[in-house]
Amino acid sequence: MSEKRSTHFGYREVDEEAKAGLVANVFHSVAARYDLMNDLMSGGIHRIWKRFTIELSAVRAGQSVLDIAGGTGDLAAKFANIVGPTGRVVLADINESMLNVGRDKLLDTGFQGNVEFVQADAQYLPFPDDSFDCVSIAFGLRNVTDKDLALRSMLRVLKPGGRLLVLEFSKPVNPLLGKAYDGYSFRVLPVMGKLVAGDSDSYQYLAESIRMHPDQETLLGMLEDAGFVNCEYHNLTGGVVALHRGFKA
Amino acid sequence: MAAGLDPTLTTAALAALEAALNSALALDPAGQQQLGRLAGSTFAIECTAPKVNVYLQPAADKTRLLGYYDGPVTTRVRGAAADFAELAGASDPAAALINGNVALQGDSAPLIELQRIIGQLDLDWEAPLVTVLGDVAGHQLAEFLRSSFNAGNAVSGSLRRQLDEFIHEEARLTPPRLEVEDFYTDLQSLQQRVDRLQSRLDRLRKRMQASHT
Repeated sequence: MSEKRSTHFGYREVDEEAKAGLVANVFHSVAARYDLMNDLMSGGIHRIWKRFTIELSAVRAGQSVLDIAGGTGDLAAKFANIVGPTGRVVLADINESMLNVGRDKLLDTGFQGNVEFVQADAQYLPFPDDSFDCVSIAFGLRNVTDKDLALRSMLRVLKPGGRLLVLEFSKPVNPLLGKAYDGYSFRVLPVMGKLVAGDSDSYQYLAESIRMHPDQETLLGMLEDAGFVNCEYHNLTGGVVALHRGFKA
Repeated sequence: MAAGLDPTLTTAALAALEAALNSALALDPAGQQQLGRLAGSTFAIECTAPKVNVYLQPAADKTRLLGYYDGPVTTRVRGAAADFAELAGASDPAAALINGNVALQGDSAPLIELQRIIGQLDLDWEAPLVTVLGDVAGHQLAEFLRSSFNAGNAVSGSLRRQLDEFIHEEARLTPPRLEVEDFYTDLQSLQQRVDRLQSRLDRLRKRMQASHT
């Protein structure tokens, strides 16, 4: 008899097969107010983190970019401006609600021609091998059930020499900052979620999922194990967030 | 892993600077159009004191300032903040580049063109002032700013001329530019003649040594 494997959903242990559905419910619930909540929760700093991600992507005109878990399209819009009409940006998200919000936002602000929208699971990317110059995933990897499988899938679709960028919450380097951050995450965020998005549970999950996500060094090792080379990371805002980068040989 | 200043701070500072720069450029459409001619160029500015690297990518629609850049660089300049300030304010950027402390790598022509465009920016404050204050008050304030700016320019220009004249002609503290250039030309010519004479002497010496042996 095959034994069901378990994984974590926040602090809870759940069946691996159930996690995707639970995460989907979280994002269906917050999709409409996602941008507003991001601005409120981070005080707008998420824009600076994403700007730094764009700088490290070194994407140029005419290149192809895959933005996984692209949500409401913040990164995809910036990439689309850089790659221009001869380039290609694919905004992918597993969650239909998030993808709809992102697609509407980008089309309403005039992005068309070089942007595609694909509902896709990061673990099983529906693209041929060696398709993209750059793959990015911002605040999405921690929600993926099997992160190693997803990283290998990202490596597969990257062109040789292409780069992966993983922007994700991480572990603050200063213990004092860590304590303040804990207090903020578990006391303020759920209340803010309740008041603005009408959903405190989703933001409780957000705080828990951040604590369960691998820290900087562990994620670096995972990138190397998946087959990426020249891997490195940059701590942002004292390690509250880290940007990992790896190349396909 | 990444040492030094938190990238959040530098990235935020550059984002604010970029927004301010583009807002200012929007007030001079002609200048912005000229910047468009430099689109595709990347200027790396490596400041040694304080230690900051900035990459500038001019464009007609939006000039970008980056703290990190991996691609090919058109022109790279390296120096202290004071050296860059001197270069930015120089009336003759080519001479300032050659004689100044800024080290340059790559193509200097786009950099000189960039400095020229920045030097010629003529910001029109009237449009934003009118939008905020209305036609009458906005126009009057813009007129006041314009006349103050022109008067300030005239005063500083006249002061510079008078100071220049006093230093060169009255006090004779330093020689005038033309005299210095003449002196350098004479010096160069003298050096060439000395070199030629030296070569002749060497040849003669060799010939004499050959005839003795």
